[in-house]
Amino acid sequence: MGEELQIPEDLAQVAHEKGFPLDLVRRALALGFPPSLIAAQIRAGAQPEQVAAYLDEQERVRAGGEVHIPPEVQQLARQRRWPEELIKRAVRAGLSMQQVKDFLESGLRADQMERVVILRERAREAGGPPVTLEWMNARTEWGIRVKPGKKGLTLGSLNVGSYGDIPDYWPRQTEMPRGAAPNPLSPSMGYSIYEKAELWADHAADLYEEAIQRQWKPATHIPWDDIPPLPEPLEQALCQLCTYMCQNAMVISDTIGKWLKEMSYGYHEVKVYMATAGFDYARHMDVFRKRAYLNGVGMGRQSPGYYLRPIKDARRWTEASTMMFIFNTSFLMHLCQVGYYTARSEGDALIFALTMQDLARQTAYGVEHLRYFLLRKPECRLEVDGYLQKIEAFFAYEDDKDPTLQEALVVLLGGGLGREELKRGWQLLHRFRRRWIADYLWRLEAAGMPERRQYLFFYLRQWLPQHQEVTVTTGGTS
Amino acid sequence: MTQEVAQAKAVFPSLEWFQILKEMVNHDEGFRRIGTCDTTMGIKITDRQKYYLVTFEAFEVADVREVSEEEAEEADFWLEGPFALWREMLENIKAHGKADHQHTLNTIDLEMPEGFARSHDGLRRDAFYRFNQSLQYFFNASSRIDTVFED
Repeated sequence: MGEELQIPEDLAQVAHEKGFPLDLVRRALALGFPPSLIAAQIRAGAQPEQVAAYLDEQERVRAGGEVHIPPEVQQLARQRRWPEELIKRAVRAGLSMQQVKDFLESGLRADQMERVVILRERAREAGGPPVTLEWMNARTEWGIRVKPGKKGLTLGSLNVGSYGDIPDYWPRQTEMPRGAAPNPLSPSMGYSIYEKAELWADHAADLYEEAIQRQWKPATHIPWDDIPPLPEPLEQALCQLCTYMCQNAMVISDTIGKWLKEMSYGYHEVKVYMATAGFDYARHMDVFRKRAYLNGVGMGRQSPGYYLRPIKDARRWTEASTMMFIFNTSFLMHLCQVGYYTARSEGDALIFALTMQDLARQTAYGVEHLRYFLLRKPECRLEVDGYLQKIEAFFAYEDDKDPTLQEALVVLLGGGLGREELKRGWQLLHRFRRRWIADYLWRLEAAGMPERRQYLFFYLRQWLPQHQEVTVTTGGTS
Repeated sequence: MTQEVAQAKAVFPSLEWFQILKEMVNHDEGFRRIGTCDTTMGIKITDRQKYYLVTFEAFEVADVREVSEEEAEEADFWLEGPFALWREMLENIKAHGKADHQHTLNTIDLEMPEGFARSHDGLRRDAFYRFNQSLQYFFNASSRIDTVFED
């Protein structure tokens, strides 16, 4: 051996703390392994017996000894069509036979393994920098291949083999993507949603693709040059509606952002879909703000925001989701229907039509998630009913206390401020609201809550489809 | 291709009319640019007792078929109206190259007390809104058909 190798002080300290023999450390250094790698292996709990066996083999092979390939490795190599020489090169490059076996079992092709070996060989020939290539030994599933379909290579199509196994409980508190190998150095990230039933919707990956594919751009999709101003009271009423849409969109976008960081990484389909939903609302804020400013009126009066408060204050994702993506989207769809119906230019109609497309997609998530949740947690049915009661009650309070939005809709629907116009506006608003409540209840029925029709908050019952037609008078709905 | 189909003449309602529309849309880059559309749409021309099923898949119209009324109602949603309503909508599209505001699917739906788009399921019906621009594009393409309406 000649002169005894000096062990760096910090490495000796690690070996001492772990009771790891110093002669093995010297042998590893003599073979050219970097001190940082040796220290990492000792810290990770490397067993002296195994290390000694590995070093024996490496010393023998590097002295010109033959590499012995165990029969089970030979068999695997034949199955994977690896030449024996590739295995021998791998061992000469510093890989243990167990590592080679792991690569075989993980499905690595011969050409892929050759790249691993070449990297090892180059690192050794260069004499540094230290390369461990331990990451190449990640025991994830190899050999999975996905072919693009009619829609290209979609996120959902990747869910095959072990990657298609989406567990009911996600055990990782770290940022580990599903399907990756865990890294013991990763810290817990403090997510709070680890249970599939709490956020899942079977079509989340499809909704994500749909959102990406059907994306539109307010700046260029809307023919802004071709939206003439409406007669003054109508333009002002439309801007009031736009103001409401902006405020609502910002609150929902905020709320989605707040919950995204609570969702663990096991359910990335929902996380990425929610990222698009947040972006949808950013786009809505953008397009309605632009429309409000287009013809010189600008923002109208702020909404009190009572109704949006319980959405922001929700303590469970299913609570937030049900309020946002069933009650609120149904209401926003109603507003867009009024906006579309009263549009007097192609541009105005397009703004509301495109917004409705996004809202309907979000409703699809809300309904499907609630259905999934209730099927797995039927004991929570009354709790969900309570969420609905709360959001309906807060909506009723705001709608009753602050007539701003209602009156703006009436002016738009009636076509002006005259007595007959307002009368017609109230009548039409009543019709649109009946449609809204019917759609809202129908979506809840699809989610598995047909009984909500019976318990609908009393204020909203005035718009129940079977409810007796109320007498419509100017200035009120009752 | 589009030019050839543009000369097409077909009777509405008929399977041939829908097949021509399918071919037109599938060769139209504008339809693809709207984005993926995955839904089934029933067509009911009530007083003629004619029913069709249109299947949209990814970036194309995958299939059109003449079906029974029950099959049309198995779609995600169906568009239902008398012949006169369909005729007025399609003649408006022909006259303007696309539906004017009073004759879009959305407006017709909002005007009808029971809705133009109907379904047995509150979630599946929302496909009408989710893919509305694609559906409107589909019908707007009929402006290039020389449609014959048989009274």
